[in-house]
Amino acid sequence: MNVLNFNSEQCARIRRQLDAYLSNELLVETTSDVLRHLESCEACSRELEARTRVRDALRRAAASQIPPEELRQSIQRQLRKRQPGFSGGSRRLIWVVALAMLALFGGIATEQWIRVLRGRRMVAGVLALGVSDHIQCAIKGHNYPDIANPPEQLRQKLGPQYAGLLDVVRQKLPGFEILEAHICSVKGSPRKYVHFITRGRGTILSVILTKREGEQLPNKKGVVSGNSGSVSLYEAHLEGMNAAGFESKEYFGFVVSDLSPETTVQIASELAPPLKAALDAASASEARLDLDAVPFSRAARAQP
Amino acid sequence: MFFYPKVRVEDFETAAMPHFPDLYRTARLLAQDSTEAEDLVQEVYLEAWKSFHRFQTGTNCRAWLFKIFFHRLHHFRRRWAKAARVQALENSEDQDSLIAETPVPQEIRDEDVLQALGKVAIEFREVVLLADVQEFSYKEIAETMKLPLGTVMSRLSRGRKLLRQELAGVAHSFGITPAKDSPRAGESA
Repeated sequence: MNVLNFNSEQCARIRRQLDAYLSNELLVETTSDVLRHLESCEACSRELEARTRVRDALRRAAASQIPPEELRQSIQRQLRKRQPGFSGGSRRLIWVVALAMLALFGGIATEQWIRVLRGRRMVAGVLALGVSDHIQCAIKGHNYPDIANPPEQLRQKLGPQYAGLLDVVRQKLPGFEILEAHICSVKGSPRKYVHFITRGRGTILSVILTKREGEQLPNKKGVVSGNSGSVSLYEAHLEGMNAAGFESKEYFGFVVSDLSPETTVQIASELAPPLKAALDAASASEARLDLDAVPFSRAARAQP
Repeated sequence: MFFYPKVRVEDFETAAMPHFPDLYRTARLLAQDSTEAEDLVQEVYLEAWKSFHRFQTGTNCRAWLFKIFFHRLHHFRRRWAKAARVQALENSEDQDSLIAETPVPQEIRDEDVLQALGKVAIEFREVVLLADVQEFSYKEIAETMKLPLGTVMSRLSRGRKLLRQELAGVAHSFGITPAKDSPRAGESA
């Protein structure tokens, strides 16, 4: 190999650019410089020609390699046996499915949880009707005598529409004395309540009925606290009281006290089926129960 | 497939098989023998078919196939070449500009070129083939081979010179005289 000492720095520079020139990778301005130099420099022109000759020879030699037709056919046969995306794709597919399942079940669980929360909020909203009447009429208003009013007086206060319920409450509430029964309301609301105020187990317990005004208790798993016969029972702890509730076709029924939640629900489970049956039967009969038809005593009005 | 658009083998063949000769020639000029070359090309096509659902229609299928080719080649090369040899050759690059260009024989036969090419280290050979035979740009070569642009340029320059050296040696052994085109100092304007 010869070692050259270029006299011209320009030749050395141009030759360093010849590879890029040959590959058409030079900028336009640089290409012009190279071309100008090549026009006037025979040595560099020969060098470019030599490099071009090698490249062309390489292209010809490469083209002489004829791809075997059998290989092409063999590849095509194998392609038709296989499905694309089988290995890498299937791994990705598994991930996609796993994430989708996670999102789906996560979504379902979240939705279920939200439904339960909504249901419990609805229950609390309905049971709050009974709790507010119990607190304002029985507890704060103390609208009951220390000695129980005689049953006849209570029947009179309840009126003929609701007098029959007095026996149901008495029978299904052993150990409790019915001190008072009347129709009352809570200040600020036109809603009326059939209110039985009882005493037993060292406390005051209210059995309250009120007409539904479009509201309903959600019959959903996770919201219903239990069943008594075919009646669904609901419970809530509100304003320091435990309340259990149920619904008939036209009424809500509540048992409200400061007894334990279990006791409150247990008492409600005894009362709910016969009360519901009586209320539904009355709703179906021509002599419909009508709270507005019952004389409304100011003495029975719940105090705020 | 459930999540991927349905791909037909006919579509794949239409897009990929026209590049079969290019891939085969490149493989044949890089591999030690035809069996290795055929294995390589076959693997490239099967790999490409498996991932054809990821190929974007309308983009450069040839560049995509060569990318897969060099990915597969990486596995094959472990059997072929020694990296240390390349490193030594690359390190000598700085001095290379001081060495005169080897004379090129006037008559170059295909077998001489193939024989000379076989003597060039594969790391240089593959860049020379992509640039001079397949006519990829420097940028495309860098992307295909996952190499820095500067490495592509230096390997191409070095590879061409090595090929020329080997070619002169092969031609000389067959009694072919070099052309009188070697540069002489001080001839430039």
